[in-house]
Amino acid sequence: MEKVKVMVVDDSRISRMMVSSMLAKTNFEVCAMAENSAEAVALYAKTKPDVVTMDMNLPDADGIECTRRIHAIDPKAKIVMISAMKDAKLIMQGRMAGIGSFLQKPVSTNELIDTLMIMCNENVGAVAVYRESYVTTFAKVLQQSLVSIFGIQSEIEISQNEESVLRVDGVAAVIGIVGEPKGRVALYMDSETMYSLSRAMLGMDPQDDLSADEAEAAIEEAGNIITGRAVSRVNDVFKDKEMRITPPGTVIGSDIILSNPELISFNVVAKTSYGNVFMNVGFARGV
Amino acid sequence: MDVKLVNPFIDAFTTVLPQMGFPTPQRTGMTVNNQNAVSQGVAVIVGFTKEIRGNVVYNMSEDTAKFIASTMMMGMPVESFDEMAQSAISEMSNMLTANAATNLTALGLEVDISTPSLTVGSDFQIKISNEQYLCVVMDISGHQVEIDIAVQQ
Repeated sequence: MEKVKVMVVDDSRISRMMVSSMLAKTNFEVCAMAENSAEAVALYAKTKPDVVTMDMNLPDADGIECTRRIHAIDPKAKIVMISAMKDAKLIMQGRMAGIGSFLQKPVSTNELIDTLMIMCNENVGAVAVYRESYVTTFAKVLQQSLVSIFGIQSEIEISQNEESVLRVDGVAAVIGIVGEPKGRVALYMDSETMYSLSRAMLGMDPQDDLSADEAEAAIEEAGNIITGRAVSRVNDVFKDKEMRITPPGTVIGSDIILSNPELISFNVVAKTSYGNVFMNVGFARGV
Repeated sequence: MDVKLVNPFIDAFTTVLPQMGFPTPQRTGMTVNNQNAVSQGVAVIVGFTKEIRGNVVYNMSEDTAKFIASTMMMGMPVESFDEMAQSAISEMSNMLTANAATNLTALGLEVDISTPSLTVGSDFQIKISNEQYLCVVMDISGHQVEIDIAVQQ
């Protein structure tokens, strides 16, 4: 995904610094910072940002007037207001001037990123937010963990899960996610892949004895480690809303349907020389 | 595993279900297990964490799941265990566990619960603990729901 350019308009240097540091580890790039309305209009024309964060109090004109001036040069400009005050009157005036979204100071990283994501993906909303803010990180961690835990390389594919069920033949480790957002991860694979991966994890040769219990426990622990790492990495970016994981539950058998009608979920497939490793990451609907 | 931790789950079951139009469930069995639970057809796993960590499983036959879904949907006939019925069972598991979490808070143990994971099949096992877990059987007008509760020490 290409970097999304953001212009930050705020008369306070600290506020500008806070917004840029929140965006530092993300797919957003601060392309311009303006401390007053005149500078904002000039920099907008020069840098053509994808989205603008706008403070209400500016020394030469307020944020609503500044929005009008930017809209005069680009009627499609996407502007999110970040101000200390957020009341009905301000929101109405702001909407009439063309402000798309309103946040109140202090803004949390999660709120800011989700809002910017939604504004930049008008038609995709929550799905894009989950995919870009969370699932891509889970997929990267899966790929890195396959190397560090099992010593295998993989090719990763991510797709949104259009069906409401997953079919499992073999083993699935299910790890719940609590906090914000809520959800669950299922790491699953067929029995053959489970045995090969477990032997690799435990440094065993193909002919070494490995019980079903031990192999299942290895996959369960791998699911626990991978989900834990992914959640920590996401928490590191979104410092305000901490996600935590519940202990794994494992289902073992054939023709198991894992149903998740209440989740927006994504399929991550890691293709390895030992077989496919599937990870489904699902979040409760509603950002 | 501490047996007193099981009461919040049983209490949730006996309080919440009558509110949804079921007769008051009766406890018909309680055992301490260490083998994997065997799915009866439909099993919902809900994880929890914070001051205590673990999993709870609501395990029942597909017939029982359809009976519960139908009662929850005001007696609407449920012919097959379709998506709507699955949603109903997920929602029930969520409500039961959220209520159990409230009961645990009253014991001074705060927990957050995950979204429910519903599994369906005729041939699978569920492992929620490396050690012992508690298995409680509840009867609702002849329909049995097994509740498996594992708390990590």
